[in-house]
Amino acid sequence: MMDRSYKELLKMRRFPHTWCPGCGIGSVLKNVAMVMKELGWNDKNTVAVSGIGCSGRMSGYMNLDAVHTPHGRALTAAETIKTVRSDLNVVVLSGDGDLGSIGGNHLLHTSRRNPDLTVFCNDNEIYGLTGGQAGPTTPQGTKTITSPRGEPYLPLRLGRILTQQAPYFYARTTVYHLNHFKNCIREALLWKGFSFVDIISDCSELNGRRLGFKTAHQMFKWFDERFHIVEGVRDHLQEDELGIAKREVEEVLKPKEEAKAKVEVAAEQLKPFTLDELQTFDGTEGKPIYVAYKGKVYDLSKSPLFQGEKRMRCHIAGKDLTKDIDMAPHGDDLIFKFPLVGRLK
Amino acid sequence: MKQLVSGNDAIFEGAFRAGTTYFAGYPISPTSEILQRAALRSEEDPKFHFLQAEDEIAAAIATISASLAGAKAFTATSGPGFSLMQEALGWGHVVEAPCVFVNSMRVGPSTGMPTQPAQSDLLQIKAGSAGDYYPIAFYPHSVEECFRLTVTAFNAAEESLSPVILLADAFLSHLYELVDLEQIKTEIVPRSKGPLGKGQRLFTGTAHDKIGNVKTSDPVIYREWLGELKDRHLRVAEKYPLFEYLPCKDSNILLIAFGITSRIISALKERFSIFRPIRIYPVLEKELREVTQSYPRIIVIEGSDGQYASWVEWAIGRKVMKVPCLGGGFKLKWIQSQIEDRLRGEGR
Repeated sequence: MMDRSYKELLKMRRFPHTWCPGCGIGSVLKNVAMVMKELGWNDKNTVAVSGIGCSGRMSGYMNLDAVHTPHGRALTAAETIKTVRSDLNVVVLSGDGDLGSIGGNHLLHTSRRNPDLTVFCNDNEIYGLTGGQAGPTTPQGTKTITSPRGEPYLPLRLGRILTQQAPYFYARTTVYHLNHFKNCIREALLWKGFSFVDIISDCSELNGRRLGFKTAHQMFKWFDERFHIVEGVRDHLQEDELGIAKREVEEVLKPKEEAKAKVEVAAEQLKPFTLDELQTFDGTEGKPIYVAYKGKVYDLSKSPLFQGEKRMRCHIAGKDLTKDIDMAPHGDDLIFKFPLVGRLK
Repeated sequence: MKQLVSGNDAIFEGAFRAGTTYFAGYPISPTSEILQRAALRSEEDPKFHFLQAEDEIAAAIATISASLAGAKAFTATSGPGFSLMQEALGWGHVVEAPCVFVNSMRVGPSTGMPTQPAQSDLLQIKAGSAGDYYPIAFYPHSVEECFRLTVTAFNAAEESLSPVILLADAFLSHLYELVDLEQIKTEIVPRSKGPLGKGQRLFTGTAHDKIGNVKTSDPVIYREWLGELKDRHLRVAEKYPLFEYLPCKDSNILLIAFGITSRIISALKERFSIFRPIRIYPVLEKELREVTQSYPRIIVIEGSDGQYASWVEWAIGRKVMKVPCLGGGFKLKWIQSQIEDRLRGEGR
């Protein structure tokens, strides 16, 4: 006998629900509720937040305190609730249009601030509630009612955006690959920090039929053809892969050390300049721009900031700039980039 | 001890007196100082949370969400940011989240003249968001009043279960005055709404019945809900019929001004009677009717092209004269000459 205790987390009195037959959202709601029940998350310790759209209705069917925000603002609301009430678990149940399009800015910044939230994105590649308009994740070439000749643009790659800055947790799964799906939900709920589950789902009524699928099941088979599960933990996922990409700390990218050792030129070998001589090389009449720094003379003619000008902000061509550069907000490494041409007498 | 305090400081301290534990904002002149103070306070006080949001949309949503989560929350912005906050303001009224929005007005539309003072967001507070709602808005005219009215705004928010708007202007935000904030006595209304994690409620911006079931096609439930909302808001507004009336025995001319313009024209109180509404919205209908009865001529002086004047005309049912101080130029001499012009035009 199957364990049906997850129904305690659902407002069964409000069933039948509002979604079309064959829709993937029911599966998302059920599986999230099942895993939450297993983990002991309930109305005393959990809040559900959702945005607008078919998927936004999910929070209203959960037996929790739920917040149904304006379009696109679910992440901001969830982050704030977690800030004020760090004792509560916060889950976001929303869709690709809500999170990726109108809430795109919030997705970038909430994931950057990394609050301890779990986001379930019902990614059905269409705006379903409003009648089947092209969404941010609609594949290029797909015919919808707002792209009658096929969607002209490339879709938003949520996976690529969300796996650019660590720490991150990004899982891609589908409503068809059930075991994998539940596993992703569990791992995401247990992840400390911002976790995002991109659930490829179907909208058979307003997208599938137009694509030529007669039933939801045909769409599921299509998911099976399009995607394959990859085992283990990855840093990134390819577009046809289902799996989990996560990383806890940012790889620190150090600037590469200059490979060539600097050849120290003996001071005597350099051409000597007096200050008066130096002053003539101020860039006027096609002459090069020379400046002195710590007893050495550099050729700044190639500096883009000196172009045709005798001065660059407070630095004057043909002068000893030792003091200026020491006081400047930048380091002296800027001047070492330029060729050494002589020394001060 | 008296100290030099700016309008922005007084607003922040007032919010703190009222018991705020959350601030979200986005940098904008002239309220950035409130954001800065909140950032400092959040470092000193672990109970105080602060978010510098990615935009005003997020700041406003965060303020309302914090309120739902159980914190007394507020945000501060100026006209352009307030335009972005309208969506959240409508949502705040539907989910019944008590919080405070501070809007320090500057010359608009759009970016306008940063940062010259104006009083031109009155229609925006009333009807900036979609649908019918009944906001409550106060407008101080001194630093001390900034402090008092911030506390009042938090109280009215708790009582009306809605976002309450505290208006100011660029002038007032940066006005420094000697006040002793600690000596100011205030009454604080405590939190009444249960925080999240206490049940199975649904806080939704969609029309809903009393237990939070979404009802999108039932006019009866909607009318009942809106009626209740309206009643509650008007009842709370009636609790705060704030205005100041300075009658002048020798004058049969009434000047109406509020905020910083009322401060400027207070120099004319020997020549004219002055009425200063403090509760800007809902409009002080009864009070305006009573006061204006004995004045054949009324001049509304404000930093917009007749926004409040139109409300006065609507409330008292006759025409008034207008002196719109546009573009941030609030100069007493200029206002005086404009008043003379209007009166001459009337054939005095």
